[in-house]
Amino acid sequence: MSWESTFPSLFAGEAFRASALPAELPPDTLMDNDAFAGFYTRSARPLWAYLARVSADPALADDLMQESYVRFLCAARPGEGEVAARRYLFRIATNLLRDHWRRPRQSSIEEIPEEVFAATASSAQSDSRAILGPALAQMRPRDRQLLWLAYAEGYSHREIAEVTGLASASIRLLLFRARRKIAALLRQQNPQGGNLQ
Amino acid sequence: MTLLTCPREKEIAQLLALGQWPQAAPAELRAHLAACRSCADLVLVAPAFQSARASAIAAAPSLSPGLLLWRAKLRRRQAAIQRVSRPILGAHLFALCLCLAVAVAFAVTQATHSLNWLSWFDQLSQPTSINLRAFSPAALFDSPPSLLVLIPVLATLALLGGVAVYLASSERQ
Repeated sequence: MSWESTFPSLFAGEAFRASALPAELPPDTLMDNDAFAGFYTRSARPLWAYLARVSADPALADDLMQESYVRFLCAARPGEGEVAARRYLFRIATNLLRDHWRRPRQSSIEEIPEEVFAATASSAQSDSRAILGPALAQMRPRDRQLLWLAYAEGYSHREIAEVTGLASASIRLLLFRARRKIAALLRQQNPQGGNLQ
Repeated sequence: MTLLTCPREKEIAQLLALGQWPQAAPAELRAHLAACRSCADLVLVAPAFQSARASAIAAAPSLSPGLLLWRAKLRRRQAAIQRVSRPILGAHLFALCLCLAVAVAFAVTQATHSLNWLSWFDQLSQPTSINLRAFSPAALFDSPPSLLVLIPVLATLALLGGVAVYLASSERQ
């Protein structure tokens, strides 16, 4: 080992440090621009929808979505294929949400009104919020996550376990309870019953 | 709460996923819904979530993927700089500790010399002959070699120790 490599800052200062680092990230850990742009286009909106609906805070969803993608790009990719990458992205987002909830909060999620969603929403969007929003707001955060992943994203129990980090065996029961609870809340909102669509 | 899942749930879930409920559902499956709470819950909840997903997707903001790639590169670069800097910091700390040890050793030896000087002053008050040779520069080299050897040895040790710590920690990285 040479002296230059032993004392980089001593011999070449910051210039050495910059050159000692990879000019570009290794190809196996970073998507190229086009691949990432394609992946982002396909995954960003569903991810934002998940974060915004589960957290009930669109501003927080913006922040967590950006952070999720940055961490996703920085991390070594766990598996091949877009499906696995997407699942991994949702897992990062879920962990970030959990971290956010664990931190001492300045305001409670339940205190944030549904009206904070975009004011320019169409009538169809407003209807959708009016139907699900109040019921979802009464659910526990974990139940919201499970319900969203199962019924909005269409993930299987095994995939939900992978995303949330919960035991695969417990997902079925947790989801069953959460579904029963939100169904009861939806029926309360709409006493006529039946399909809300 | 007991887990009572209906065997027909999969059938209904498939129709819901395809957007064919209730049009493509057979009459007996629709009739089953009235008697099965689990399936009724599914038919109530799944479309509500799919509708909410569609509306939330429409409201989602668009962000430049290039910006995210740039932020990721920046973060990885910062992490790499931290990885490079950590061994150097360790070497600095080790060298600092050794320098402090050398300084303490030097202070101790100087203190003993000062005591010698004090005893010399005591002797000065008594009438005696002055040895002028003791003031010549050559006298320094005649003195015991402990201090002259000790300082360079400890300095070299500090330097080599710092290098060793740096190499060891950079190997571990």
